[in-house]
Amino acid sequence: MLKKFDKKDEESGGGSNPFQHLEKSAVLQEARVFNETPINPRKCAHILTKILYLINQGEHLGTTEATEAFFAMTKLFQSNDPTLRRMCYLTIKEMSCIAEDVIIVTSSLTKDMTGKEDNYRGPAVRALCQITDSTMLQAIERYMKQAIVDKVPSVSSSALVSSLHLLKCSFDVVKRWVNEAQEAASNDNIMVQYHALGLLYHVRKNDRLAVNKMISKVTRHGLKSPFAYCMMIRVASKQLEEEDGSRDSPLFDFIESCLRNKHEMVVYEAASAIVNLPGCSAKELAPAVSGHWAFFQPASHVYVAMKHPSAVTACNLDLENLVTDSNRSIATLAITTLLKTGSESSIDRLMKQISSFMSEISDEFQGTCYPQDTHGPQGKDALCQKYPRKHAVLMNFLFTMLREEGGFEYKRAIVDCIISIIEENSESKETGLSHLCEFIEDCEFTVLATRILHLLGQEGPKTTNPSKYIRFIYNRVVLEHEEVRAGAVSALAKFGAQNEEMLPSILVLLKRCVMDDDNEVRDRATFYLNVLEQKQKALNAGYILNGLTVSIPGLERALQQYTLEPSEKPFDLKSVPLATAPMAEQRTESTPITAVKQPEKVAATRQEIFQEQLAAVPEFRGLGPLFKSSPEPVALTESETEYVIRCTKHTFTNHMVFQFDCTNTLNDQTLENVTVQMEPTEAYEVLCYVPARSLPYNQPGTCYTLVALPKEDPTAVACTFSCMMKFTVKDCDPTTGETDDEGYEDEYVLEDLEVTVADHIQKVMKLNFEAAWDEVGDEFEKEETFTLSTIKTLEEAVGNIVKFLGMHPCERSDKSLLPYIPVLLSSLLGVFRGGHDILVRSRLLLLDTVTMQVTARSLEELPVDIILASVG
Amino acid sequence: MGLLDRLSVLLGLKKKEVHVLCLGLDNSGKTTIINKLKPSNAQSQNILPTIGFSIEKFKSSSLSFTVFDMSGQGRYRNLWEHYYKEGQAIIFVIDSSDRLRMVVAKEELDTLLNHPDIKHRRIPILFFANKMDLRDAVTSVKVSQLLCLENIKDKPWHICASDAIKGEGLQEGVDWLQDLSTATTWKL
Ligand SMILES: Nc1nc2c(ncn2[C@@H]2O[C@H](COP(=O)(O)OP(=O)(O)O)[C@@H](O)[C@H]2O)c(=O)[nH]1
Ligand SMILES: [Mg+2]
Repeated sequence: MLKKFDKKDEESGGGSNPFQHLEKSAVLQEARVFNETPINPRKCAHILTKILYLINQGEHLGTTEATEAFFAMTKLFQSNDPTLRRMCYLTIKEMSCIAEDVIIVTSSLTKDMTGKEDNYRGPAVRALCQITDSTMLQAIERYMKQAIVDKVPSVSSSALVSSLHLLKCSFDVVKRWVNEAQEAASNDNIMVQYHALGLLYHVRKNDRLAVNKMISKVTRHGLKSPFAYCMMIRVASKQLEEEDGSRDSPLFDFIESCLRNKHEMVVYEAASAIVNLPGCSAKELAPAVSGHWAFFQPASHVYVAMKHPSAVTACNLDLENLVTDSNRSIATLAITTLLKTGSESSIDRLMKQISSFMSEISDEFQGTCYPQDTHGPQGKDALCQKYPRKHAVLMNFLFTMLREEGGFEYKRAIVDCIISIIEENSESKETGLSHLCEFIEDCEFTVLATRILHLLGQEGPKTTNPSKYIRFIYNRVVLEHEEVRAGAVSALAKFGAQNEEMLPSILVLLKRCVMDDDNEVRDRATFYLNVLEQKQKALNAGYILNGLTVSIPGLERALQQYTLEPSEKPFDLKSVPLATAPMAEQRTESTPITAVKQPEKVAATRQEIFQEQLAAVPEFRGLGPLFKSSPEPVALTESETEYVIRCTKHTFTNHMVFQFDCTNTLNDQTLENVTVQMEPTEAYEVLCYVPARSLPYNQPGTCYTLVALPKEDPTAVACTFSCMMKFTVKDCDPTTGETDDEGYEDEYVLEDLEVTVADHIQKVMKLNFEAAWDEVGDEFEKEETFTLSTIKTLEEAVGNIVKFLGMHPCERSDKSLLPYIPVLLSSLLGVFRGGHDILVRSRLLLLDTVTMQVTARSLEELPVDIILASVG
Repeated sequence: MGLLDRLSVLLGLKKKEVHVLCLGLDNSGKTTIINKLKPSNAQSQNILPTIGFSIEKFKSSSLSFTVFDMSGQGRYRNLWEHYYKEGQAIIFVIDSSDRLRMVVAKEELDTLLNHPDIKHRRIPILFFANKMDLRDAVTSVKVSQLLCLENIKDKPWHICASDAIKGEGLQEGVDWLQDLSTATTWKL
């Protein structure tokens, strides 16, 4: 399913929603098809869907046009197609308030409701009740009575629920159906019982005595349905509350008896009811809370807390006592749980209590146990999401903690926490940034100050009033030592690069920095000043907003090499290996984006080792710089087989080298001249095999296969290679290790090896995707739309794409910040083999399935084609 | 299943379908008539006043009828016209024992005949002078006089006396409709 979009559509957002461009008048025109004979059920059902879609999109249908469409729809009752019929029921319900004379379908619906087709009956009841007003109700009364006691549960439930709706406008008629409802209340089906009790209660709810009688009857005879129990518990507690009477009431006994119900749901409901009774005493609380502690093992508390926050509230009192427990693990657990279960109103109080507790314990412990603890930040994050209005309170709380005396770990943990709140909750961004600004006014930790300056430079220009941060940043230039000053200069430059209004004053400030005593500060100021004075967006993007993406040690080595062998050609930055994004999967939720990239060094070293090893093989001379090595070797043999072969893929500009690390696990064999023969499905060309000369028992050896990338169709990079290991076997004596002179040829089939697009793309991190996007421009922009039929959530979809393309999701755009909005925009960034940035923007829309629109840009056409070809 | 029937299944042949509107005042016996025309296993035992309309199907030897059985109550009569366009034949039922409302029936018939969707079409109209079994029922001749049927010049029409409860007279009417469908005059 492929559909191109033009620019206009792009603005309206969303993927290829087939109903996106529906036009009311056109759809109503189409609805004339309903008048044709014979009826085409599929076509008609589709048109009804469109009408329903329009109505649900808020499209206004005039009475005349709606009535016309409605009457046309009524003719579809002559078709017996089940799908179409059910669409008719839906349409009737949706149009019941828009069209006139909708009662025209009354007889048709009563016919369906009393007919033989059980699938029609429930929906017909519901549609019928929707179109029936109080004057018409008597005409269908006897059908309703019959339906309530129908033996088919769906019919009975439909009738009961519809009766509940009818109760609002036709109380007196529905009241006459209690005998039938009473009969349904003893139905074996739990839903029917629940619905029947619901109806009975609502009929009687103004009659206290009758309700009490109902409850005592339930107490005596019991119920099948846990839902019905839960409802009766609610009813009983409401009665109790209104009575504000004694706890000797049979109502209370009923609720208490439910604590021993076999359904957990009922137990929770009962406990929660007891706890929430006004003026509930400790004694009354006891059975409820003890009921809960059974579920309240530490391991399951989070689960319970999330599923039944109101139920766990019961234990908050106990938990608050535990906060000061001498066992700090228990204390931490108690805090986390409290943060999760506390009601919005109690958070302020909790925060106070926790801050007093925080100051009592040692600095080190605070740092490790609380904000940094695995529960800590998540507790906070969850708290922010649960109570978005409370982020200000939380911020204040964290900021108060920040002002207290404390060591580096402690402060760092709090800053991390504030940053993660800013990221999760864009509303809190400005407050958070202001707090951090104040913090760096008096911050003794260089690392934190530079980190915050970096964050300010990144986020500040995007806020509504960027200029207010300048004072804080410039103060650093005036007051601090050189490292912080340098950070401040970079931050200033970022404001200048993104905000034209501020540019003149930024230039003035930077000019002052040019006089700085420190080399680094001066260099930065001079550099930024010169770039900014060019007033070119692309320069700003490339040199201020997004820094170098190459690996620093790699750059150092390449430069050294260049100085050793001077040449006419200017130094090419593309020949430098890239800094790999952290390989240990994407950062976890709470790690701030600005964290220093520690794994970089490890990754660079790994790639360096490969580069050196490969450079030592004469066959691989002239392949150019190593672009990428696959992060994890792939096993091509099952575990516990004779030979263990693992493959690492190395990508060069026009070639790939497959490195096979082989181990021979047979102690009576030595293998010689081992190669892995490869058979590609695409136009890859095998150039040479570099054998492992000898593979004695249990000593790893390596062989290589060199292939050239497809030349004819350069987009066909994804490829499967069938692999076969070829070697000469020489038997040997396991005890002495003596080897026969004579050997024989043998083969061993390996698993297939996949080369994917990800092998041709290196993750890079740039902080400002927008700037990079503009910098690349739209010369080679391409766009396509896809439907992902098997995927059900947006994050799963993005996760798959990220993994598939091997690109880096910028600015956490793989996560949906507003989970209830079914649209996700992601920005992915990578460098294609050969050195050009490839940028991908994906818009995902979740309806029934995920629809994805992919836009790719690069400075060359090939990478864009490859991306789109590989996704489709 | 006979050979011919199989062949028709094989070839996907279906009986020609005719859309019929069943009109007339409330309580005249429309639903009872249609019910009687349905195969006996599909007939319902008690007939309740129709609200709005209901779609019923029955077959004669060579035709398949889809009937829109309309409600005859005053407040619904103006809704009939929504279905005029698709109607290919009309069954108009009169309660021959209801002298008092004969004029009302005439009025409704005239409105129908003058409706733009009906007026210029040669649409066949079958009249059932129903409830002929009742003591004070008038004859079908009298009914056609009271309704001035002789004034209908541009449409084929036919009147039968009927007793819907026993099913008498109904077949005659259906046969007339069916014959007409094979005649050239059927072409609308
Ligand atoms: N005696 C008699 N009663 C009839 C006849 N046809 C219908 N009825 C009765 O007339 C009443 C109304 O019939 P119904 O079919 O609902 O009329 P509708 O409103 O035109 O659909 C019912 O009680 C029928 O039993 C008939 O031919 N003879
Ligand atoms: Mg009727």
